[in-house]
Amino acid sequence: MIGPGTHLPRSVKLRVFLRSLLLQASWNPKGMQNLGLVYALFPALQQLYPDPLARREAVQRHLTFFNTHPYVAAAIVGGVLYHEERIAAGEEDPRRVTDFKSALMGPLAALGDGFFWLSLRPAAGAFCAALVPWLGAWAAVLFLVLYNVVHLTLRAWLFRKGLQLGDRLVEAVARARLPTRGARLRAVAAASAGAAAAYLAFAFGAQQGGVGGWLLAGGCLALGALSYVLVAKKVPTAVLTGVAALLAGCLGAFL
Amino acid sequence: MHVGWVHVAMAGAWGALVSLERRAFLQAMFSRPLVAATGMGLLLGQTQTGLYLGMVLELFYLGTASLGAALPENDTLAASGTTAAAVMMASQTGGGGTPAIWSLALLLFSGLGLLGRAADRMVEGHAAALSAHGLELAEAGELERAVRQNLWGIWPYALVYFLLNAACAALGLGLGTLLSHVPLVVLRGLAWAFPAMASVAAATAARGSHARNAALWGLVGGAVMTGFTLVFAWVRG
Repeated sequence: MIGPGTHLPRSVKLRVFLRSLLLQASWNPKGMQNLGLVYALFPALQQLYPDPLARREAVQRHLTFFNTHPYVAAAIVGGVLYHEERIAAGEEDPRRVTDFKSALMGPLAALGDGFFWLSLRPAAGAFCAALVPWLGAWAAVLFLVLYNVVHLTLRAWLFRKGLQLGDRLVEAVARARLPTRGARLRAVAAASAGAAAAYLAFAFGAQQGGVGGWLLAGGCLALGALSYVLVAKKVPTAVLTGVAALLAGCLGAFL
Repeated sequence: MHVGWVHVAMAGAWGALVSLERRAFLQAMFSRPLVAATGMGLLLGQTQTGLYLGMVLELFYLGTASLGAALPENDTLAASGTTAAAVMMASQTGGGGTPAIWSLALLLFSGLGLLGRAADRMVEGHAAALSAHGLELAEAGELERAVRQNLWGIWPYALVYFLLNAACAALGLGLGTLLSHVPLVVLRGLAWAFPAMASVAAATAARGSHARNAALWGLVGGAVMTGFTLVFAWVRG
């Protein structure tokens, strides 16, 4: 059992969590998030290893290459504390914590990228962009609220699971069914993008008025549909944007 | 509205803040185009310009992500820099932002995403040196100093993005003085170009959503919005 000298107080765990928000401050191509990880863990390592030599060893074993998704890293940071408490108590070999990090950083990075970067963010972004006509600047506020309620809740939950479960956090993360939820969010993103396109076409068409207005609205919708096909054929979006601007610009100038 | 160098500095400061948030701290998405551009517009006194540019750029960059060690275009600089320039241009005309000015800003500053990526690469070199120094310090037993190297990675970011955003604002200020010489027919064309570019951005977003049946979902969203718009127009006569 880990004893009183090797059990971290809540205040230290909270400090580690807050410092983990700076995980990417010195992201670099060689060690990637290594400095950020050591920065986050340092208050705990100071507490667990009063002996300077043992503390130096602990810092050095976390200065090696480390890279994962910055939010999901909270689970690994929590899990590292779980293992370090046991290493400091003499219950575990220091290699356990290195193996733990190596085994989890790749799979958790893929999970975090898929859910946060490729699902939640596009869904919240496109949904709130489509609401701009009704909410105005509040659409940006709504985006921050929607995104961060999920982001911060999951980040704190993952940290807690890492602390409580160590290696077994994988089962808890699997039960969260993030990939399934991500697929639904991606559908929301696509539908919202379609809605935003329709709104912009009609709003600017109405502003123009008359036959020109209908031409503008219809032309924009047709351009959107065509662009969707051309993007799939790897036509660069910069080229598409330029051509669309040129076409619409010429029509607008001479009609 | 009178704008000057104070506004240029404010643009630089906001751009630096959101760029820091994008990379170094928290990542709560203040750096997304919708928020970064709206915030820039609000700060410089033209919320609508920020909002509409943010909306289009949010859609344009919806599918981009920093996966693994890959470095995507810098959507934050694209949003904050373009908005700063557009607001400054509009301020020189004596009125607010118009679709023509938004189009012009989008076209003239379309390379900002790539410029931001180059800047990110440059700052990474500095961070790599900090990491190497951190290892040396840890080896020498200076643990607190080794750990603090992490925080030194923040400042180059802040400085680089302050300068880039301030430069965009200053450039906008200069370009704004030339706007009065642009023929009306060109301005009318630019006004039409804005919704056209927005349509391309929305199509890119639907594609970038990575959804299964993205086209179908996009059609459903477009149809629902079209229905709402037509009913709304009918009700209003």
